[in-house]
Order: sequence, then structure tokens, then C-alpha cells
Amino acid sequence: MVGEALKGHLDLLLLAVLADGPAHGYAVIESLRTRSDGVFHLPEGTIYPALHRLENQGLLRSQWSEDGARRKRIYQVTPKGQKALAAHQNEWLKFSKAINATVGL
Amino acid sequence: MEKNQIRAYLRALKQQLWLRGMTDSESLAEVESHLLEAAEAGLREGLSAQEAERQALERFGSAQVIARSFEKERKDPMQKILLALAVLMGLFIAYVDSRPTWDDTGITAGTMLLSSGLLTLLGYRRPWLIALAIGLWTPLYETYLSGNFRLPGVILLPLFILLITFVGAYAGWAVRLGIRKTFNLA
Repeated sequence: MVGEALKGHLDLLLLAVLADGPAHGYAVIESLRTRSDGVFHLPEGTIYPALHRLENQGLLRSQWSEDGARRKRIYQVTPKGQKALAAHQNEWLKFSKAINATVGL
Repeated sequence: MEKNQIRAYLRALKQQLWLRGMTDSESLAEVESHLLEAAEAGLREGLSAQEAERQALERFGSAQVIARSFEKERKDPMQKILLALAVLMGLFIAYVDSRPTWDDTGITAGTMLLSSGLLTLLGYRRPWLIALAIGLWTPLYETYLSGNFRLPGVILLPLFILLITFVGAYAGWAVRLGIRKTFNLA
């Protein structure tokens, strides 16, 4: 259920995590898990297609870096991505306020 | 499960992506890097190598789910346009070929071969679908719609036409793949 609910907000979550600084996919997932106290569970692999889509839309850019013996693809938010994040945050604020008001929280 | 589960998983994912017309070595390298890092984290937590790999793979999602996810996120309008063009081309060829005044099988076959190849060269990711979209209409008209069920034509004609469109479609696809690899395109 959490996984299904997350799918609609994945862009917001990924942009929000990456707005704090460039990171590779594994670190993004770790950050999502830590920030949500372990509530957010998605098949980890599903974030990569989403990251690639955001990159194709110009909201992220990536570059490969060498970290020891391993290559990592590091993502960072572009100026366009910052604007998209602000728009997503506003939408979420309105949406969550409406839900809270409706269910009496 | 075999000892090196991550390697087996990567093979399965590569196959699943290939079946969906995707051959992206960078994505596979990224997945491999993720899985190795996740397995190393498991080792640091005291898990055995086998259990660390198993848990890393379990959290990552099955090869089929992940390949489907890549396919879903990569959907682009060009794929639909190219498929629609293939259907239109197939219908056009079938129409021209069915005209009583048309008697040039060589041109028909050549057009099928070239159009199948061109559409996969332009980027359609499933050659088999292009081959069917172009090649099905002519035998369908020649046999089933015109009521001509005489053997062996009813079997040989579809096979011959589909052979042409499959060769064309996979040739175009292979050339595109070669170009992308040569110029190191993602």
C-alpha cells in the first residue's frame, strides 16, 4: 500500500532528496528510508527508471564518478529541477491541507 | 540460488530489457553498482555473502518488475508514431499488391524489406512488432479475406512475407545498435 501510494509522489521525493546535494541512486534510497523512518518501501530498482526520466526531462543531470574500485552515477538537481520541486511542494501542501481538513486532522 | 546471485540477476535483467527492445549498458552498470554496494552493506551488518546478496536482490525487485519499470518510464510518443506508420505502410502495401494491375512482386518485397528496416533504424525498439505490423496485411488479404485457402500458398505466402519483414526489421535494428555502440550513445 505504501509502495502504491508513493508512486504518485516519487518525483517530489527524489527531487527533495537530491535538492540537499548530489547523490547516487543507493544514497538516494538510503536517504528516503532514513527520512521516512523506514516507512517508504519501494522495490529499490524502480527509482532508477524514475531518475533517468527526470534526467531526460532536464530536471536532473548525472555524471559518472570513480569511488574506489566502483563507478557511481551521481545525480544532481538542475535549476529547472529546483523550480519543479517548488511547484511539487506547493501542490503537495495544498493537497495535504485538503486531505487533513476533510478527514478532520 | 547459484553462488553469484548478483551476476545471475544482471543476466536476467539484461535479457528482460532486451526482450523489451532496450539495450542500455549504463543502466546495467548502475544496477550492478547498486547491488554490490547493498551486498557490502549486508556484509558489514554481519550477514553471510550469500544472504547479503539475497537480501540486496530482494529489496531491489525482480528483473521482470524492474525491466517493466524501465520500459514504462521510457515510453515516448515516437514509439507509437513509428508503430502507426508501420501499420499504415503494411496496409498500403497490401492495397497496392491487391490491385489487379499490379504484378511486381519484387517491388512489393523490396518495399516491405526497406520499410521494416527503416522503421527500426529510426528507433522502434521491438523489431518483431514492426515485422508483424508491416507483414501481416498482405497475406491476410491474399488468403483469408479473398477466400483463397489453397495449399501450400496459404501457409507459404505468410511465411515468405514475414521472413522478409523480420529480416528487414532486425537488420535495421542491428544497424541502429551498431551505430549507437560505435558512437557510444546512451
